[in-house]
Amino acid sequence: MRLRSSLVTLSVATALVLTACSTGQGGTTGGDPTAEAGVALTIAKPDGAITTESHNPYLGDSSASKYGYAKVIFEPLALVNPTGDLGTTPWLAESVEWNDDYTELTVVPRSGVTWSDGTEFTGDDIVFTFDQYLNGTLTDTSGLNYEGATVDGDAITLKFADSKYTAQSRVLHTPIVPKHIWENIADPNTDPLTEDGLAVGTGPYVLSSWSTESVTLTANPDYWGGELAVPELHYISYGDNAALTTALVSGEADWAQAFIPQIEDSYLSADEDNHFLASPTAGAATLFMNLQTKPFNDVALREALAWTIDRQAYVDIAREGASEPVWNVTGLGSVLEDEVIPEFQGQEYSVDVDKARQILTDAGYTWEGDALVDPDGERVSFSISVPAGWSDWNTEQALIAEELNEALGIEVVVDQPDWGGWDAARQEGTFQAIIHWLEDTGNAYGMYTSTMDPKWIVDGRAQFNFGRFEDPAVTEALNTYATASSDEEREEASAVLQTAFAEHVPAIPLGAHPLLGEYNTRNYVGWPTEEDQYASADPTQPGIVQVLVNLEPAE
Amino acid sequence: MTAVQPRPPVEDAIEVGTTATTVVKGHSRVPWRFLAGRATFYLFTLWAAITINFFLPRMMKGDAVDQYLSRNRNVSPEAADALRSLLGLDTDKSLLQQYVEYWGLLLRGDLGVSLLHGLRPVTEVIGQALPWTVGLVGFATIVSFAIGTIGGAIVGWRRGSRLDGLIPLTTFLGTIPYFWLGLLAIALFSVNLGWFPIGKAYGVGMTPEWSGEFIGQVIHHGALPAATIVLASLGGWMLGMRNMMLTVLDEDYVTVAQAKGMPTSRVLWRYAARNAVLPQIQSFALSIGFIVGGTIVMEMVFSYPGVGKLLLDATNAKDYALMQGVFLVITLSVLVANILADVAYAFLDPRTRQTEG
Repeated sequence: MRLRSSLVTLSVATALVLTACSTGQGGTTGGDPTAEAGVALTIAKPDGAITTESHNPYLGDSSASKYGYAKVIFEPLALVNPTGDLGTTPWLAESVEWNDDYTELTVVPRSGVTWSDGTEFTGDDIVFTFDQYLNGTLTDTSGLNYEGATVDGDAITLKFADSKYTAQSRVLHTPIVPKHIWENIADPNTDPLTEDGLAVGTGPYVLSSWSTESVTLTANPDYWGGELAVPELHYISYGDNAALTTALVSGEADWAQAFIPQIEDSYLSADEDNHFLASPTAGAATLFMNLQTKPFNDVALREALAWTIDRQAYVDIAREGASEPVWNVTGLGSVLEDEVIPEFQGQEYSVDVDKARQILTDAGYTWEGDALVDPDGERVSFSISVPAGWSDWNTEQALIAEELNEALGIEVVVDQPDWGGWDAARQEGTFQAIIHWLEDTGNAYGMYTSTMDPKWIVDGRAQFNFGRFEDPAVTEALNTYATASSDEEREEASAVLQTAFAEHVPAIPLGAHPLLGEYNTRNYVGWPTEEDQYASADPTQPGIVQVLVNLEPAE
Repeated sequence: MTAVQPRPPVEDAIEVGTTATTVVKGHSRVPWRFLAGRATFYLFTLWAAITINFFLPRMMKGDAVDQYLSRNRNVSPEAADALRSLLGLDTDKSLLQQYVEYWGLLLRGDLGVSLLHGLRPVTEVIGQALPWTVGLVGFATIVSFAIGTIGGAIVGWRRGSRLDGLIPLTTFLGTIPYFWLGLLAIALFSVNLGWFPIGKAYGVGMTPEWSGEFIGQVIHHGALPAATIVLASLGGWMLGMRNMMLTVLDEDYVTVAQAKGMPTSRVLWRYAARNAVLPQIQSFALSIGFIVGGTIVMEMVFSYPGVGKLLLDATNAKDYALMQGVFLVITLSVLVANILADVAYAFLDPRTRQTEG
């Protein structure tokens, strides 16, 4: 692991060297004066060689899922935008409609769609896909709790045991598979689909060749969504971020999702056609504090932290601009602005050290020299823990330690254990502070269930809510939010949650979790941009089909 | 494991040892006790290695499902139980029971399925990566060994000449961190000069086949990683050989050979180098373990497929079956390499051949 982190550090230096080289050279691969139509697009990942072939879309670690090419072969019922307007676009269904309490989904299958082997796509395929969960041949790893379907003319109604309001994208993004092929597959969980004629989908591209070094897909000539500008896709995986950056700069790779240090110098300046888009989502990198033990069992201290930690520094320095700060006292970021109740609109934290010190003084804290002393007379100190090698959050650890020490006189110990030790501490509640991600449900629920919901703690082990917040009124509001059958009810519950979050400060969100995308406009245009985020620019997201359909040859 | 079976008498000299004190006179006395001792030793080592490979990873904190969830953050932790049953981790068997079952499967040649690679059999996963590692790293190590040893012999023979400058030069190259050397090579030869591709084992869109074009691609893509490995490891071989040469050249039999007026090349290669090379053979046998273990850094810098990254990822993801599989391959190859080193000793050291009569 040490080698790996030193590699990351050095990637910056190399990237600089490489940039200098490629710009100096005038760019044999870079600034092509004329754009070429009909060139292949190369999508790259930094995961090392992917040497085992499996096209199974349901398996998180099959080659199809690791590269992400499963998303251009198998299509879902609808696409839920994880960014921008968070809207739902019907895809393999002509329409998707939820009932009031989100336990039933009514879909009308799109007509005129064929599987890539020529068979017609029908509603039977949709019912078959979901019925795999029902009879247990497919393990329900998305927690759908599907209960069966009824067919009424064209419309199919899928029923679920509980409300899916907070898991809409899990249902809608289920890859639809052809019944005539999958009914003969004994174990759909693990079948690699490597035999001829099994990797059949409705998607815009079909598998052409697979090798341990790359995967090639060609445009589906009968695609229902119309003609595709890009005739061929290559998927490649490079050894690490440094190698991926080199490939992106040299033009060997076109499209990737990766955190590139010093992206302006190492990638964007290499060619004016290179672009980078970071799309904020509803999730956020969040500072979780252990509410059960000192020093964080005192809300005054948590509030003082919220007024001291510089979120803009997290975005600018730790994430190098690839994120968006979260300042609102409700913890909700920009994409969820509409959900903030009027009372909290514009109510934002800022870096206000005087205010933080005032809050601490009022709560009985004193200072001994520069050091903060709690009402019991003990020096305030805690450790903040992030696995070694998560470079952006490791930087944030150092930033927080510096900010809190300078502003408030709190001694912060920076702890960088290996993943296993970190994982055990967060689950068993033996940590003091960690930086962690949130469950993304595409609405405000994700923030609040991740930070305040006791349902995540089973047998004393936490999967979220690491600080172990528990308040019956909040728990009830969370359940109401998830299962409400009307918008009014949900808004009421949301108000309770937002108030509780602002009052108790159970966690401190730092910056929105971004979906990253590096792409170039040398040969194709029509990508998602800052202004038009109809999808994220991340090629591993289901929205990739929207982007591919939208691409046009550059002038 | 056939390699440790008792052998025909003609080879028994191998087992006799390398010093003249243990030379056995006579033609057909098979040292059964010695052979049995060696066989027991190898079997014990194998058992110990496999057992440690089984228990050590299981002492690490966290399990495969937690790792799966952190890799796939779009999967809700609510699905953890379903995942456990999918990955076959929902057993409440004791560690000892699992250990016994593991041996049962192992003896039938079943290494299990790799959680990290789409639940494909471990044999298939390793089979896809191993040829690349053995091919590239093995080739580079042999080249480096050959150049280093021959070069070291010549440098040692001509001590005090200008050739001595080669020693600090190659040692310097060896002390450069490998990834830095690799990145520089890429910057210079791939990005700037465009002579070699940036990485990977062969080009995009190629499928492996026995055609000239494909083999050409493999050589073209492998040239840079192989060259950097040779450069980085040359110093050690050369220094070791040259130092041994200096010792051997002081021996009386070298002086005698020269005094008899033998041709220089004969004294150099048949008298001096032949004796000086023995410790090199031992180091080479040890380095075979590293060849099979792969070089993680090379695989990452050059995006080359191989066992090193496989093992790293498997360790990080708590993919026990794959870890055990890779360790097993490494263990076996180290044991086999040791046996081969014994054989090589027999050929090079006349003292061990005296029993052949």
